[in-house]
Amino acid sequence: MTEPILAGVAESDLGETPDRNWLDNAAIATVRALDDAGCTLSDVDGVAVAGGRDYMQALLLAEYLALDEPTFLEGTEIGGSSFEAFCGHVGDAMAQGRVDVAVIAYGSTSKTGPGRSRELKVTHPIEGFVRPTGLFRPPGAYALAARRHMHEYGTTKADLAEIAVSTREWAAMNPKAAMREPITVDDVLESRPIADPLTLLDCCLVSDGGGAVVLVSESKATELGVPPIAVAGVASTMTHRQDMSEMPDLTTTGAAVTGSKAFTEAGIDHDDVDLAQIYDSFTYTVLVTLEDLGFCEKGEGGSFVADGTTAPGGELPMNTQGGGLSYCHPGHFGVFLLIEAVRQLRGDYTGDRQVNDAEVCVVHGTGGVLSSSSTVVLRRET
Amino acid sequence: MTAAVLDRRDEWDGPVPVPSGSNAPFWEATLDGELLYQRCSCGTKQLYPRAVCSGCGAVDPPFESSDGLGTVHSYTVCHAPGEPGFDTRTPYVVAVVELLEGPRLLALLDVDADAVTVEMPVEVVFWRVSDVAAIPVFVPR
Repeated sequence: MTEPILAGVAESDLGETPDRNWLDNAAIATVRALDDAGCTLSDVDGVAVAGGRDYMQALLLAEYLALDEPTFLEGTEIGGSSFEAFCGHVGDAMAQGRVDVAVIAYGSTSKTGPGRSRELKVTHPIEGFVRPTGLFRPPGAYALAARRHMHEYGTTKADLAEIAVSTREWAAMNPKAAMREPITVDDVLESRPIADPLTLLDCCLVSDGGGAVVLVSESKATELGVPPIAVAGVASTMTHRQDMSEMPDLTTTGAAVTGSKAFTEAGIDHDDVDLAQIYDSFTYTVLVTLEDLGFCEKGEGGSFVADGTTAPGGELPMNTQGGGLSYCHPGHFGVFLLIEAVRQLRGDYTGDRQVNDAEVCVVHGTGGVLSSSSTVVLRRET
Repeated sequence: MTAAVLDRRDEWDGPVPVPSGSNAPFWEATLDGELLYQRCSCGTKQLYPRAVCSGCGAVDPPFESSDGLGTVHSYTVCHAPGEPGFDTRTPYVVAVVELLEGPRLLALLDVDADAVTVEMPVEVVFWRVSDVAAIPVFVPR
């Protein structure tokens, strides 16, 4: 057995952290996650970082935390799905005995920090074909995909709105969620248009904050006495990056590839899944991902999410912390999907917030503009 | 084919492409109203221009002139400006246009937002936005 165990998870403060930078938030989340695992910084021999606004970010966080000769340094940047992909990379390294305690970390100040540079002379060879169109990214990129899905399959704005409504129901039970007031489908449809067909409430929040997950070997997990929440399957791929016109099929994401691979590796099928954490940068992201992961047929995402399928008490509890739509979204949400999955599988919550007898959680990260896809199957081992 | 090139240099305050490397021939041709794509001898067609063919790996696959005709593969109506200089343009339409030759490109549609449909036939015109580049913009045909 070489499955890495998710021994500890934590967020930094979320929402607005004007007195922190991305490294502060990543570091605070890291030490909190280590504390959750019963470890200290001196135990850490690996660090995996994505999404920090810096060059050589894994080295920076390792320096900041004064790690002592870490042997695993990972900074592969594939957007919001990086952290799910890291679960595989850490697992491979652990199987080779190259790392024993690895921290996957993220931090940002997307809300209060400096904005993107807006140089008018576009020297980037691909961006020169994208920026002069004025496409409002990321929402406009997702809107292009959503519009094509509506054209091919009859998906409606109301179908997309159902996802925002169900997710908000979960957020209402999370004290850390930024948006907790119940909403209706009409609220979503009537909210400010952003990039049609997406309205404001189809779009994720913009937040500050960080998150971290501590992965340890099985022997270390036994020593720590933590619940054995294991990486049972993982797969990653990509379809495009910068230019939506390069996405081979606007209505199919890489999840169509990674889902079946990760499920096979974990030896599960859809009936085994107790809950899901699906990257919800936009409502459409969820709809297409659920289809591509095989929870319903292609084109039937709209009817699948109707009537609270993913809401509390629904058939497939999803984004049980309120998601990027209502809880927080500091920019790379993938790490927060893992954090909530672990808490659910450990049974940390009470009442309706806790999914009963949760043993298997599917976590799916999406990066870029539907560009990268990483699926992780987490399982509470017995 | 060559399409109309409208001089928008005075009124354009949005981003402008800076030609470099393998895309330099593309932008140079836009000044004459010509829309280029790359068509490799292996049959692969690609846009944006690249130094290698994404099908067979050949270096510097040759350019071909497109007829500038296509359809709206998908579109979005941007109600919030996505770039500097677009504040006064909202709502504006951005589309993935599929050329009849096959390649797709992202482009502004110069059309009323209410008039756009998926699969709508469109044709290219060029807006000259700098001394060295004219951007392809599509209009209904």
